[in-house]
Amino acid sequence: MNTLKSVGHATQRIDAVKRVTGTATYTGDVHLPGMLYARVLRSPHPHARIRRIDTSKASALAGVKAIITSENCRVIWSTGDSKNKRYLFNNPVRFAGDAVAAIAATDRHIAEEAMRLIDVDYEVLPFVLDPEEALAPGAVEIQPGGNLSPNSRNERQPDIYRRGNVDALRTADRVFEDRYTSVHLNNAQLEPRVSVAHWEGPKLTVYASTQGISNCRTDIARDLQLKPENVRVICQFMGGGFGNKNQCHDFDLMAAVLAKNSGAPVKLEFTRKEDFVAVHGRWPTKQYYKVGVNRDGTLAAIQLRGYCGMGPYRKGAGGIAGTELYQCPNVETMVHPVYTNMAVSANYRGPAYPQGVFGIESLMDHIANELKIDPLEFRLKNLTRKYRDAIPYTSNGLVDCIRRGAEAIDWKKRWHSAGAGAGPLKRGVGLAMGCFSSSLGRSSAVIDLDSRGRYTLHVGVTDCGTGAKTTMAMIAAEELGVPLNQIEVVWGDTDHCPYSVGESGSRTTNYTGWAVIQAAQDLKRQVAEKGAPKGSDILTASASPEPAIKDATRYSFAAHFVEVEVDIETGRVGVLKYVAAHDSGRIINPLTATSQVKGGATMGIGMALHEELLYDRKSGLPLNAGYYGARVMTHRDAPEIDVIFVETEDAYGPFGAKTIGEPPIIPSVAAIANAIFNATGRRIKDLPITRDKILGALA
Amino acid sequence: MKAFANANPRDVREAVTLLTKIHGEGRSASIVGGGSDLLGMVKERLVEPDVLVNLKAIKGLDQLAVDAGKVKIGGLMTLNTLAHDPLIHKQYKVLSEAAESVATLQIRNTGTLAGNVCQRPWCWYYRNGFPCLKNGGEICYSASGENQFHAIFGGGPSYIVHPSDTAPALVALDAEFRIAGPAGERVVPAADFFVLPRVDFKRENVLAPDEVLIAVHLPAARPGVRSAYHKELDREAWTHAVVSVAVVLEMDRHVCRSARIVLGGVAPIPWRLPKVEAMLAGQRITPELAAKAGEAAVEGARPLAKNAYKIPLTKAVVKRTLLSLAV
Amino acid sequence: MTAVSKISRRDFVETTAAGAGLVVATAAPIAAAEAPTAPRSNIHLTVNGVEHHTEVEDRWTLAELLRDHLSLTGTKIGCDRGECGACTVLLDGKPVYSCSYLAVWADGHAIQTVEGLAQKDRLHPLQEAFIEHDGPQCGFCTAGQLMSARALLYRNPHPTADEVRAALSGNICRCSNYNRYVEAVLAAAGRKA
Repeated sequence: MNTLKSVGHATQRIDAVKRVTGTATYTGDVHLPGMLYARVLRSPHPHARIRRIDTSKASALAGVKAIITSENCRVIWSTGDSKNKRYLFNNPVRFAGDAVAAIAATDRHIAEEAMRLIDVDYEVLPFVLDPEEALAPGAVEIQPGGNLSPNSRNERQPDIYRRGNVDALRTADRVFEDRYTSVHLNNAQLEPRVSVAHWEGPKLTVYASTQGISNCRTDIARDLQLKPENVRVICQFMGGGFGNKNQCHDFDLMAAVLAKNSGAPVKLEFTRKEDFVAVHGRWPTKQYYKVGVNRDGTLAAIQLRGYCGMGPYRKGAGGIAGTELYQCPNVETMVHPVYTNMAVSANYRGPAYPQGVFGIESLMDHIANELKIDPLEFRLKNLTRKYRDAIPYTSNGLVDCIRRGAEAIDWKKRWHSAGAGAGPLKRGVGLAMGCFSSSLGRSSAVIDLDSRGRYTLHVGVTDCGTGAKTTMAMIAAEELGVPLNQIEVVWGDTDHCPYSVGESGSRTTNYTGWAVIQAAQDLKRQVAEKGAPKGSDILTASASPEPAIKDATRYSFAAHFVEVEVDIETGRVGVLKYVAAHDSGRIINPLTATSQVKGGATMGIGMALHEELLYDRKSGLPLNAGYYGARVMTHRDAPEIDVIFVETEDAYGPFGAKTIGEPPIIPSVAAIANAIFNATGRRIKDLPITRDKILGALA
Repeated sequence: MKAFANANPRDVREAVTLLTKIHGEGRSASIVGGGSDLLGMVKERLVEPDVLVNLKAIKGLDQLAVDAGKVKIGGLMTLNTLAHDPLIHKQYKVLSEAAESVATLQIRNTGTLAGNVCQRPWCWYYRNGFPCLKNGGEICYSASGENQFHAIFGGGPSYIVHPSDTAPALVALDAEFRIAGPAGERVVPAADFFVLPRVDFKRENVLAPDEVLIAVHLPAARPGVRSAYHKELDREAWTHAVVSVAVVLEMDRHVCRSARIVLGGVAPIPWRLPKVEAMLAGQRITPELAAKAGEAAVEGARPLAKNAYKIPLTKAVVKRTLLSLAV
Repeated sequence: MTAVSKISRRDFVETTAAGAGLVVATAAPIAAAEAPTAPRSNIHLTVNGVEHHTEVEDRWTLAELLRDHLSLTGTKIGCDRGECGACTVLLDGKPVYSCSYLAVWADGHAIQTVEGLAQKDRLHPLQEAFIEHDGPQCGFCTAGQLMSARALLYRNPHPTADEVRAALSGNICRCSNYNRYVEAVLAAAGRKA
């Protein structure tokens, strides 16, 4: 039973009225007097050297106030590439969409017109899109030193993890070998990328669309060589995150330089097409597995060789995650992050998991089928008990997620032998597991108390839609023992908020929430010592804790169950029932946490069935950027998602809360794939599972 | 967006005169019905009009009238109005269903019947500005490229598919298109309105640059006619047809007296299936016959590398749509 | 004319560390060529019951007019191509994509935007239900969802869940909180009854 007053109770968002009345100010809504509009000119080639840029005609157009290119702007965008020097404008350009110039003008149409007047002479270079082809001898070199991007230790080697010895594959009773692939797809958050920059003397204010104002400020200061205190980053409302926005972006820097050069505030806007091709998306993967299985159905060895297409700049970690879902004495994963001339890849919700879990969970499903074991029993037998078979989890509700999810979907009744039934409408069920690190770490919070008993909580969150502002207020209210409406939250402005880890990696509740608790405790101590503030006095408490876990690791877990109906004559897939069971420890706000799960699972269905940024192989150009082309899920595509929370008790984190934002997309893709297999008896190993593949497999 | 002037002619004659005048001055003009697709093309610079000739202000062009049994639909009638018109819904269901299947409600609220019929292709090479046949270039990139949504019938030298949902319905209904031009008006049967790329790969229909599709005439409804439009999308809302079929059957109780069957999404024009129509005439539509019709529907199909799945899909939609009308 | 900020380039250089790194554009000040002229028209339209007589460039979309020139930024632009629905407004009571409709075509028409839903301090039942059911996550699609829902309830005060999905299928929610939006519209419809 929940004995807490705020935490654990479904609570409406504290900023909800603004979100439904059109009064929430998003970055693109910021309008400053005298503001200029900026546009970016982009490479029409996947790989080319710029021989010459002539901006004279564009400069001469009335209304044009500043133009920057690689010839007059050498700003390095340090978070744009962790391994190479990436400038705001690079020469050579390395993907279709690489920035060539940015223009500020008195209105957006003039900026756009001016863009067309810039004359660029390109020497077109060979290009490569596929990560394996990029590693083949003779492939064009995209970055100096070759196309295998350095690993996490900065060696020109794949990232390798080993335990035991996969030579055990030789002696395993059965060995399964398979290849799974996933594609590049886009975050596609509704708010197009935009940045507004404004200088007042030495001080730069950037209205950014960011998941992390603190990092964004640090990055801008470093790249423009400013003192951090001379940079202010504001993000009051953000139209969706979904990853890789916990830093500054090139367009923030471009807006700042254009504003400086023109002497006026600048709003730099992206088109939706640019958003799809010129920022980043999920990295495509090729996954080659060998799995050895013992006669009793336990796992003897897992070997993975994988390739991740990172685009031409190393913005994201790369990686193929998911093997840690299984208990197995001998594991080797060898993953190659590779430069290609496709759109840049970086973190997108659950970064390395949804595609990796698609691979490993499809394969485990296949193995269970081959061994004639119920895939649910196969999971229960083999699922992880200790992280990498070595480190205990602080809590692990995975078994309960599976049991409760199975019960909710009536697994025993609905699961059948693959492809059974006459058709043309064939039903099938599938399940998949997921996990995500629920780490702890440094973040900060400040709480003020005035003499009227008003608490003001300062946290550096932006709330990209997760409900973080509300969650932070609930945690403060709980710890302070006051009603929620006594807490006012100040957020999204580096001049008024302390450092925050930023809303990425599902860390805000754990990191910043913990800091809120510490600040609240400090405030209570101060009140106990000094008494409540009087008159104009304000008591201020702050905390910047850096909690750590001893001899254990902390993960959130999930199991998703889905029933689909496949029309074997048309290849159409309909999702009939969907159950998402999650262990995210204690749920701080069941209202918003449920929304997160519903949304993540639905997004995963889109990844499973539709989404891909498709490239023309001959020209290296993208063909289907945008919501129409990506076939992003609509109201009519979205099934009802039933959400189950398995609230394990965890000794760490605020009130035992673990992560919730990233996990829901993780099992979703594989669960759909496995259900399609159960329905049709055909396993589609390449995402997305479109009707042409289904009809092809059934032909 | 490129700068352009918007012109609001008050009647059809003024619109045509304006078009002739603008072209005569060496400037470019685009005709606007609803405008939603056109604006997208202007933003992408696929067309660069100096003047938009907006037909919205022409009175009466969005009306439906019955004249000597014929149903005359103004070209500017919005797709949503058309889809919900009681007469169309009752007697020309195939058109009602086709109109309702277009894009989204927001687009159907502005998009017009004439605009839908005259919509330019949604081939991704064309829409992304590749220098393809439709963009004034010399090759069709889809032929050996990403052609999963391209033609299995009637392709070459361009392999686009016609994007309209209402067009197959209108061909199936044996509609006539009334066209206004500098020389006055002319009437073209729907089946003769669309142009295969082997005839002219630059355009999809017979309209000259200063001609306007002003109305669609449907023949008088006959007793015993049943019709349906079935569209397979690539998600559950807002895509063009992957494959669609418009079926109009004239039934005498359980016997089909005559049939008109037209496919969408498979060819550069609405693709009529005369052989299948002949198979059905005088027959009871049984599951066996419907399946045979589905098989016959794909005779002569020539899939490209990535669109062979349209063959079983076409079979299925033809078979099922026929059966849905047979009961 | 634009307001020019007081700082000079010299100030800027002084604030940056000496040496490598940031180089600012050094192009000569740009001389204004002849101002490009975009055709303009006078229009008159009603927005949320308020009459506006205004001059617009013919190429401005209705979304552009609302957001940039009438300061009604509640209407969002997500794709600018009629693919996402964030810009949905009501034109004479019917939902349309304001990104794909020219301002000049709205001459003589009545527009409703999200800003017109609440009456003084009283939220519209749809807005209340959206809050209670946690419809908006990031909130960027919300104005469009609300306007499509508003139009639906005009023509069908008691829709089924499938009717809600159909009516809102032109409104993408990338947070994918579709279940919640449908629940909220059904709840608001019940409330109105």
